[in-house]
Order: sequence, then structure tokens, then C-alpha cells
Amino acid sequence: MRSPIRLERRLEQPKWLNWAVPLISLVVALVLGAIVLWLTGKNPIDVYQRIFERGFAGKKAFSGALEMATPLAFTGLCAAVAFRMGLINIGGEGQFYVGAIGAAWVGIAIGGAPTGVTIALMCLAGMLFGSIYAAIVGILRAKFNTNEIITSLMMNYLAGILLNYLIFNSTSYWRNPDSPQFPKSKDIGARADWNTYKIFGIEMPIAFLIAMLAGVALWFLYKRTRFGFEVSVIADSPKAARYAGIRTSSTIVIVLALSGALAGLGGAADVGNFRGLLDAKGLQMAGYGYTGIVVAALARRNPITTIFVAIFIGGLTKAGYSLQGPDFPSGLVGTLQGLILFTAVAGEILIKYRLRTNLGRATAVAA
Amino acid sequence: MTDRVAVRMSGIVKRFPGVVANDGVDLEIRAGEVHALLGENGAGKSTLSNILTGLYRPDEGTVEVNGEPRVFSSPRDALEAGIGMVHQHFRLVATFTVAENVVLGESGGSLFMDQEEVAARVRELSDRYGLAVDPSARIWQLSVGEQQRVEILKVLYRGAKVLILDEPTAVLTPIEARSLFATLRAMADEGRSVIFISHKLGEVMSVSDRVTVLRGGRTVGTVNTSETSTRGLASMMVGRSVEFERVVRDNPADTSVTVLRVDEVSANDDRGRASLHEISLTVGKGEIVGVAGVAGNGQRELAEVISGMRASTAGRISVGDDIVKSGKARSAIARGIAHVPEDRLHTGLAASHSVEDNLALKNYRTSTISKFRLLKRRAIREQATTLVERYDVKTPNTTTPVRLLSGGNVQKVLLAREFSALPKVLIAASPTRGLDVGAIEAVRERLVAAANEGVGVLLISEDLDEIMSLADRILVMYEGRILDDVPAEGADRERIGLTMGGSNAQEVAK
Amino acid sequence: MNSNIFVIIISSAIFYGTPLFCAALGGILTERSGVLNLGVEGTMLIGGVSGAWACLHIGGSAWFTVTMSILVGALAGGLVSTLLAFLCITLKTNQTVAGLAITIFAGAVGLSSYFANIWKVAKTPVPRPIRTMDVFGLADTPVLGPILFRQTSLTYVSWLLAIIATVYLFRTRIGLQLRAVGESPQTADAMGISVIRYRYIHTILGGALAGIGGVFYSLAIVPTWVDGMTKGAGWIAIALVIFGFWRPSLTLLGAYLFGALQSLSSTLKARGVDISGDILDALPFVMTIVVLVLVSSRFAHRRLGAPAALGVPYEREER
Repeated sequence: MRSPIRLERRLEQPKWLNWAVPLISLVVALVLGAIVLWLTGKNPIDVYQRIFERGFAGKKAFSGALEMATPLAFTGLCAAVAFRMGLINIGGEGQFYVGAIGAAWVGIAIGGAPTGVTIALMCLAGMLFGSIYAAIVGILRAKFNTNEIITSLMMNYLAGILLNYLIFNSTSYWRNPDSPQFPKSKDIGARADWNTYKIFGIEMPIAFLIAMLAGVALWFLYKRTRFGFEVSVIADSPKAARYAGIRTSSTIVIVLALSGALAGLGGAADVGNFRGLLDAKGLQMAGYGYTGIVVAALARRNPITTIFVAIFIGGLTKAGYSLQGPDFPSGLVGTLQGLILFTAVAGEILIKYRLRTNLGRATAVAA
Repeated sequence: MTDRVAVRMSGIVKRFPGVVANDGVDLEIRAGEVHALLGENGAGKSTLSNILTGLYRPDEGTVEVNGEPRVFSSPRDALEAGIGMVHQHFRLVATFTVAENVVLGESGGSLFMDQEEVAARVRELSDRYGLAVDPSARIWQLSVGEQQRVEILKVLYRGAKVLILDEPTAVLTPIEARSLFATLRAMADEGRSVIFISHKLGEVMSVSDRVTVLRGGRTVGTVNTSETSTRGLASMMVGRSVEFERVVRDNPADTSVTVLRVDEVSANDDRGRASLHEISLTVGKGEIVGVAGVAGNGQRELAEVISGMRASTAGRISVGDDIVKSGKARSAIARGIAHVPEDRLHTGLAASHSVEDNLALKNYRTSTISKFRLLKRRAIREQATTLVERYDVKTPNTTTPVRLLSGGNVQKVLLAREFSALPKVLIAASPTRGLDVGAIEAVRERLVAAANEGVGVLLISEDLDEIMSLADRILVMYEGRILDDVPAEGADRERIGLTMGGSNAQEVAK
Repeated sequence: MNSNIFVIIISSAIFYGTPLFCAALGGILTERSGVLNLGVEGTMLIGGVSGAWACLHIGGSAWFTVTMSILVGALAGGLVSTLLAFLCITLKTNQTVAGLAITIFAGAVGLSSYFANIWKVAKTPVPRPIRTMDVFGLADTPVLGPILFRQTSLTYVSWLLAIIATVYLFRTRIGLQLRAVGESPQTADAMGISVIRYRYIHTILGGALAGIGGVFYSLAIVPTWVDGMTKGAGWIAIALVIFGFWRPSLTLLGAYLFGALQSLSSTLKARGVDISGDILDALPFVMTIVVLVLVSSRFAHRRLGAPAALGVPYEREER
């Protein structure tokens, strides 16, 4: 039986497709979401308007968007970095948690130090923990040939359990001794809170600035450095990479570690700029790592675009959560995010291939 | 062998983009015979057999089975007509047993598999034809020869009356090959027909009843094996020695200086099987050494080992006095070995990358192109612009992805990069395959120009004409060994053809 | 007293393990065809919410309502997986990303929650929960009674399914062809087997089974719909497929093992803060990693390992 639809590789990839397709994907996702809303008796225009207002309109709203966008920018970059090499780092979630653990440790321990120092050290701790956590997956893959997708998933859950252990089920360093009945984390030192700047009335967390910096740095890495060149050659054709003398397997581990470092940095930012402590429950409910994949997919793995897409998805998500109530459908956030991922990924396929129907050609094709 | 015709193919024409694989081929197979189909690569053997097994449809011509015209739209159709193929690359599920593989895909039959019954039938066929194999063994536990037996059992199980075997001895030891020939004889004696596709003259002579030789997509002729010899077959296969022009060199080769020395090098192929057996060769300064041979005899592995893409299991490669580290492409590049591979777009180039990026693919680490690990984009662009002009590459832009260039220009990009690195040694594998006439000439000129500058060129090609016209010396490669080493001037084309088909040099000299 | 706890643990292991097994059985079928379904968590949730809706809205006897609810859950799960199948098989998108998209789309903060809200099924106890039965009146016999004879109807059905699946995979012609598609689609294609058809059918079947597993949560385990109520059971089911070496019989045992760990953990938690709770929670995941490492080693993976073509979209070579 032959599938009625077939994919055929495009010969040329017109440049305009590169930005048109994500845009169209987004629009299609919103349209599909609107259909779902309409079919279930809601008014899509109304819903979208409220989301837009709550998410982006006005300084307070935009500040909220930036706040949610910050962790997503980091996990988006994490996914994008891996994607570029053709790797899927589905372990961003766990790397985020682990980075948060590391950064919280630093933040609690050296709470009295000057803020600049603390921020820097927390960032380093986050990146270190995150990259090590990711490297474990890489090593299991390289040495034991284990499937990195399943191992990353398992590691995500293990990281979550670790969070629970540290905060709820033990008297660990992170556990706040002052509230034995309601388990929670210690606060990071008073001077360890990361800054938030007010720019034109919009609150810009320093972490977001760091994320932007990271995005630019990555863009530079890809466009200008030898390493970036090697990565893109490996992604294009591993055989050509071997031919040119590029060391493929070590590059893979480095890229995974870098990806983990970015997620870990996001965890650090989350602790430092927003929660001020290790919020085991909140982190696990947020699902930043997975949403980061949505961001990277829509941004087509471009580090700069990732930042912008993170703002958009951040605002969307924040609005969706804050609007939840009796007359606003809960579950719309995940639905829209999922639709965006579908359309982004389908759109990606359409950039490389065109759709052809087999209906008229069924018999002739055997030859 | 009777005179009854089991299969007749008449006037078969099959075209692919850019090439006519079969150009009016006739083939007649009688019942009860082992019929060899002989020819070099590109002669059209595989295409013809793919048409017979239903994988391709001919553009023109007819196929008759037992006198009735048939049209096959899938391998299943062909199998129903009694024609089954044993492929060179086995189609087996490694984790299944022999019996499971044999019965897989059988149409009809009950819902439940009766393992016992299948095993019994398999054993019966095994015994009948000398194809000893344990029905309950798993495929990955079997040797290659045994796996091939399973492939044969698969077609026999489905009642095939005409069996096509594509280069079956390529993966067998000599003992296994003899056992196979006995099996084929047994099948023919029963009235089945066997089509034996090969380029190995010795085997064709020993196992077949009749031979059809293809060349350039056409039938050269069909002879009774008893009425010919390896020499006769060889001359049919490669054609008469036509007086064609040998290239006149401005700077002849200086063989007193050796630029490339390959010493007793052995290597394995991708599957871990030994593919090169203690190969030794030398290339002198400015010398063009041609490596003739049918594809699949280790040429690709040889090119990869010398260029550092593949590690050798023994032996040494050196450029001048410097040894090339085994399996390290960077070492080979640093020693001045250039490589224009067979697979241009996916090995020699990164297809989706721009012309300028590809031109910098090997020298991006040097100080002209990069500093402090950063790439100097302008330097890359300048290099590209210069090379594109000098080598006459037709491209809209240096930023165009190479994927979009025509075949000839793709090759020019490759040559531009490899030549401009001022190499000491150049390995060119099938450099003119698939190119149009103008491009072919341009490439050949470049190769000769390089040799004139003192580059040692190792020209690996299936096109014997090309080798005979360009090379100073000709090596013949067969089954991972160099069987012959003769000067190109005055070389005996028939002798080369014989060696390509496996006859060793001493036999030939008789 | 000891045997009492022992009995409780085993019988509740079976209870909690049943939905895990259903989803994992679906995973086995799907993965045996070569498709990696990471959308199980979302599929289970959609099945669960649909089953809850059905239970609330389909009247009739308890048997009828429950059966219909299960079927509705299966249907919903199958529909969701059809989407996954389309993405992975026809569009050949990366299977990991597609599965993740399904999980986000249908998951705890996605469509399942949305439907719960629209259909107003949240927090409403279902009128006809799946109750445990008393088979042959033997439920009170010591030791074996609660373990074997006081389980839910779905548990008994799952045992039947385990047997059917084992026979299907290893003794029938179709099962052989299915396994060939997952091990070597090129070979299957060459032998005239439709790779696409097998993959579609078994992905959809797998989704239906996951949906049934989800219904067990909303109709038996709680039994009410709560957003995100599977709490990662879908991911555990994915791990379970590996843990059971892609064989229904071993997967059944594994499911009960994981189920025991789950129920053990909540039993112990009820007795106060206990570290071992987290270790028990972690065990399924750690064990899966260990098994995965063992199974992927060069030695083992031929005998015990994943279907060779798992996760790789099939492209027929150009003719």
C-alpha cells in the first residue's frame, strides 16, 4: 500500500521560506487553536484578545512576558544548540533543575558577598552542574551506545526526585530549618538577589540580559568561529566532516555539554532573579525544559530569533496562566504550545520537501 | 540444458537521467542452464536484472517468460512468474531465524506459523541442493556464506524456476564459492535456470553453460562457454584495443623521486571484513598511476586509507619521508595528500554549504583563513572568488550552496580546492563519472596539468579508456590486491581486462 | 501480620500496575513496528478525560457504562496517535519531537485539561467507577484471594491481552511481519510487506491502549478526573517497554514491579517523612537506565535489544 501523500526533496530552498515558514506556522497554529476554541463554544477573538492584552499590552504586561521569557530563552537556546547538530536534547528539563540546585547552593552559601560576585558565581555553578548532567548522557551514548533520548528522559525524572528529596524529604543544606511543617527551601542571601532594571518602565531582569548576551555569543560562535563551522559541517554531512579531518565524536559531547550549560544557566537565573530560593514544586510544574523545545523549533534554531520567540511564547504562557479561571479555558496554554510545535515542525519539513500526491501516479511509479 | 527458452528479453531499453543504462539489450535464457551475464560496471547488468525481477520497468522492449509476454510491476509479480533474485546485499532480518526469514512475507497460509513445518521444508530444500544451514539458527550467528544460502532458500521456497544471482562470490571464500557452484549445477540439472551475474572470468568459465557479454548498455554477444576462453571473454568485455591518443606530457614523470609510498597496507571495509590485503604501490613525482578494476574490489577503501578517512589494520603510508598517521585525515592533509572522492556531494563536499565554505573545508584551520579560532570571513570570500575565476566554476555566487551546481561545476569546486592546496599527491576517484563531454575534458586537463607540476596522481577509475589515455603506469586491482603493474605505453588491453576479471599475471603472460 | 502487608503490597501492585501495563503494551506494539511514541503521557490523559466524560454522560448499567467509557478512552487515544502517526510516518518528522509535541498538546496543561474544563468533568466523582470484582467468590481466600480474585475487570482483561499479544507477536504470521518491519524495514519492503500500513496500524493501536490506561486512572485509581493525574505514568510506561525487553510477558511483571514501588512509596509516605520514598520513586528510572545500558551493549542488543529500526523514519530507496 502506498501512502497517498509523498515527500519530494526540494532542489532550491528560497531564502524567504526561512522566515516565512515560522511565521506561517505560528499563524496556522493560532488558527487551529481558534478552531478548537470555536468548536467548543468559546469566542476565539475574545480569548486571543484577552491573551494579547494580558500578555503584551502595557508595561506591566510586557514585564510579565519578559519574566516568563527568561527561563524559556535559556532552555530555548539549550535546545537550539543541540538541534543544530542534529541532536535532540530532551534533557533540558533535568539540566535546568540541576543548575538551579547548584546555583541555590552558591546563593545560600555566599549570601553576604557583593551582588556582582554572587551573580557570576551562581551563573558558573548553574552552567557547571547543567553541563555535567548533560555530559553524562553524552558519555553513556558514546561509551555504551545507549539511546540518549530515553536516558535524558529518565535523568529528567531523577532530577525532579532529587529536588523533592532536597526540599521535602530530608534536612539537606537547602532545606529551610525554620518551617519544619511546610517544607521549603532556604532563601538565597539577601544580597544574592539578582538585579532587575527598569527600562522605559518595563522591568528587565538581568537574567534576560544575560540570555540575550548568550544568544549573541552563540550566534557569533556559529558564524565566526572554527568550532561553529565544524558543527555545521557535521550536521550537514558526517562523512564530509570525517573527510575534512573534523573530530566528530568529541564535538558531539562538547555540544551536549554546552546545551546543558545553557539550561543550567536558566536554572540559576530562575533561582536568582525570580524565586529567590529552590522551589522544587514550582520548577517541576513549570516544564521550562520542554517548552524550550517549542521555542527552539519555532525559532528554527537561530539563537537570536530564539530570544524573540521566547518573549512571544513567554507572554502567551504567562497570560494563559494568569487568566485561568471559571470563564477562561485552562489547558489552552499547553494546547497552543503543542499546536505551535506541530506546525513549526511540519513547516520545517515543508522547507526541505514538497508535498506530492500519489493518486494519479499509482501504477506508473513502479518503474 | 534443453533448448526450451525460459526467459527471453528483447530490445530492452532503460533510460535514467543522463544515461541510457540498457540500449536495446537482448537476452535469452534456456531452461536447465547456468547462464552468465558478464560485463564491467556500467555495462548494464544490474539494470537488466532489476528489470527482470520487477524492480524497474523497461522504457522499451519485452520480457517473455515461457513464451508468454509478462509485465512486472513489483518483485512479487516476478516471483509469481517464477523469477527470483539473490541480491548482493542481503535482505535478511538479523535477529530472526533462518526459517523465519524464509517464510517472511509469504502470501496466503494460515494465521499461525507452523515452525515445524517450515523447518522441515527448509531442511528438505537444503538437502536437495547442498545448502547446509540450520533452520533454527539466527542470521547474525551465520557466516556470510551461510547467509547467502538463506537468500537462495528464500527464492527456492517460493518455487522460483529462474534464479538470478548478482555477484554472488563477492562475499565468499573460495571453498564456499565451490560449494555454491555445485548448488547451481544441481539446480540447473533439475531444469531450473540460473543467471549468474559476474565480472570474474575464471568463475564464469567454470560454472556457466553459456555467457552473454554486455558492454556500454548493449549486448556484445552470447557464446557457449565450451567454445570460448577467458581471453576471448575479456576481449568481448573491454573491447578491441582501439588506437586512441595518449596524452602528451610537457613534463614527463620523474620516477626517481617517490612522492607516495604505500607499504603492505591492509584494511577492513565498513562491515569489518578484510578489504585490502597487503597492498603496496608507489607513485613518482609527476607520475599518473592509473588503478583499473571493476568497482567493489577495494578501490574505495584504498582511497579512504590513503587520505586518512579510514584506519589501516597493517602497513604504512608515507609521503616522501613523512609517515601519514593511520586513520587521521588531518595528518594526510598536512602531508600534502589531496583527495577527490567518488562521492562528490556528500563526502568531498558539504552539500548544503556555500561554494566558499566548501572551498575552505580543508584549510579553514590555517592562518590565512583563521586566527585565534575565529574565521576570517573576508579571507574565505576572497579565496573563493579567486578560485572560482581561476578554475572557471560557473556559479551565481560564492554563497550559493554547492548542491545547486551542475555536476561538472561541482567537480570543478572539488578540483579547485584540492589543487590549490598545492598537494604532493592527488587521489582522484572516478573523477569524470557522470559528467558531460566538456566537463570531462576540463577535468582531464586539470589532472594532466597537476602532473606536469610534479604532483603524483593516483587515478582510480572504472573507465579503462581514460586510464589508458592519461596514465603513465597501470595497476590492476582485484579483490583487494594489486594483480598487475604495467607501463601504460603499449599496454595490452586484453591482458588488463583479464586481470580485472581475476586471472593473475602469470596466467595471463602465457 | 507480615503476610498481610505482603498481600496488600502485591495486590495493590497489580492494581497500580494495570494502567502502566496497558500503556506499555501499546508501546510494545508501536515500537515493534519501529515507531518511538513519546506522546504516551498526553495520550493517556486524553483517554482519561474522555473516559471520564463518557462515564458521566452514558447511562445504563454499570457494566455498560464502564465498557463504553473504556471504549471511548481507547478511541480518543487512537485518534491522538493517528496524529502522531501522520507526523512520524508520512511527514517523517523527528519522532522524538513529534511525541513531545503530543505530550505538550494533550498533556496536563493542554488539551486534556481544556476538555476537562469544557466538559466540566473535573473534580466530579464518576458515577460508575471501575470497581474490583469478586471472582468466583474466592476473594476472601487467604493470600491468593486478594491478589488474584479481587482485581478489577480491566486487570483481568489486561492478562488476557498479555497472552493474546504474546501469541500475536511470536506465533502468527502477521506478528512476524510486524517484527520484520521494526527490525529491518528494507527487508520487509523487499518481501512485499507494507511498512507504512503496519506502522500506522500499530501506532494507532498503541495509542488506543494508552488511552485505556488513562481511563483506568480516572475511573479506578482516583476515581475522578484531575488535571495531569497520570503524573508521569506515561513516561514510566515508555521505560517499561525497555525494561520488559519489548516482550509482553516480561512487561507485565515489570509493570507490577513498578506498581509495587509506586504503592509502596505512598504507603510509606503515609507513615511520615521517609527517605526511602524518594529512593523508591527513583528506582524505576534508575533501573531502566541500567537495563538500557545492558541492552544496548554490543553483546546483548542482538539478543535482547530494541527493534533495530526503532525511531528511524523509513525512506524507500530511490528506484
